[in-house]
Amino acid sequence: MVITDPSQPDNPIVFCNEAFQKLTGYDQNEVLGRNCRFLQGPGTDRCSIDKIREAISRGESIAIELLNYRKDGSTFWNALYLSPVRNDDNSIQFFFASQLDVTNHIVAKDRAIAQREEIENEVAKRTGQLEAALEAKTLLLHEVDHRVKNNLTMIGSLLRLQSRTIGDPEITAKLEAMMERIDALATVHRTLYQSDDVTKFDVSAFAVTLAQDVVGSSGRSNILLATDLEPILIPAGHASSLGLVLNEILTNAIKHGLREGRAGILKLSGGSTANGAEIRIDDDGIGFSDEPSKGLGRMLVERLTKQTGATVEWSNLDPGTCVTIRLNDWN
Amino acid sequence: MERPKPPLSVLIVEDEPLLAMDVEMMVEDAGHRVMAEAASLYDVEALDPAQSPDIAFVDMQLARNTTGLQVCSLIQERWSNTIIIFVTANPKKIPDDFSGAHGVIPKPFSRHGFMNALRYLQESVCTPPPITALPGSFVPSEHLAATW
Repeated sequence: MVITDPSQPDNPIVFCNEAFQKLTGYDQNEVLGRNCRFLQGPGTDRCSIDKIREAISRGESIAIELLNYRKDGSTFWNALYLSPVRNDDNSIQFFFASQLDVTNHIVAKDRAIAQREEIENEVAKRTGQLEAALEAKTLLLHEVDHRVKNNLTMIGSLLRLQSRTIGDPEITAKLEAMMERIDALATVHRTLYQSDDVTKFDVSAFAVTLAQDVVGSSGRSNILLATDLEPILIPAGHASSLGLVLNEILTNAIKHGLREGRAGILKLSGGSTANGAEIRIDDDGIGFSDEPSKGLGRMLVERLTKQTGATVEWSNLDPGTCVTIRLNDWN
Repeated sequence: MERPKPPLSVLIVEDEPLLAMDVEMMVEDAGHRVMAEAASLYDVEALDPAQSPDIAFVDMQLARNTTGLQVCSLIQERWSNTIIIFVTANPKKIPDDFSGAHGVIPKPFSRHGFMNALRYLQESVCTPPPITALPGSFVPSEHLAATW
């Protein structure tokens, strides 16, 4: 600490203690008679100095942190506390000033602020990059979705237009079966992209939509559709294959089981089981013969279920056909 | 008001010729008459204003940088009784109020889906309210029921 005498010109130091000499590196005789400003240097904040000067001229006390210089030119952060000492008539006799080296504290604080700013900048930058990447990806997804839909629409139109020009009923029927497969794929795509999560596919919801489509497109009002299905989520990668499998089974039930305009009931049921999930498609039509079918439909069912790790079991009801698709647990 | 009787007069606004042809044939299969086909807003502007279509199927992205929304406003201005149905692969681009249009058939559609939507619309126009159940292939706006 130091004591200065404002009654002398330029308010010189009249006393300094041991700690002050240690802190600043100056000897007592180098200090006495001088104004405190010799502790300032080029890095000292002018604003802080003005505040100290103002406090002295008003005769008020002040606590402030400022950068000071030692005799050897090194710097330290000084937590200065300065206050006037008044005598009996209330006039200022001395100023008392204490110094505390808070360099470590200030440096640590500055470093913390600098680090925080750096991290904040880094986070802002990274967030910006991620947002831009997400936006690009979303745009791309919408564009691809749009193109896939347009292409599927075009394929459907092409097949419909072609089917009009064919006289042969057998070929027309095959082309119609092909159109139904394309429609099933289109329905898979629509179901996927209308859902919140494009990585999961609710095969139950799809089966109901598809069954309505298939029954509807048969133009048969004498087929009653009954559905009792819990949601079954499968990975989106299996959606197209299982969609086609369901399409074959459903069209088979109507075109074969309920052939020649037979009235009947088409029943869809299923949900989760212990090892995965199960979908059952029942019709009360004519059933099937034991002779294995060589049609494309049966082949598609076999190959595509194998691909997705599912199994399909056909059994004759009396009357009708029951097809059970067992899906393994993917979770 | 006197309601139209089948065959209905249908306007097809679609810039993809294959799809336009496909829709035209389905409309005719259902026993209706295609009044005109248009690929852009300008084609619709060039039509005879005295010939009012009963139903207009309007794609969103049209030729010559025009949109289905522009066509929608033009139709409302010219033919206030026409039922406007968007046919689009991008139903999310349709504003919440459908800009006054009466519904949407999302692409891709199946023949059956389109035919069912058409039957529902025919009943909406000729003998409302429709007795056919609302088909999954068609999403009506509130403006459709307002015409019943």
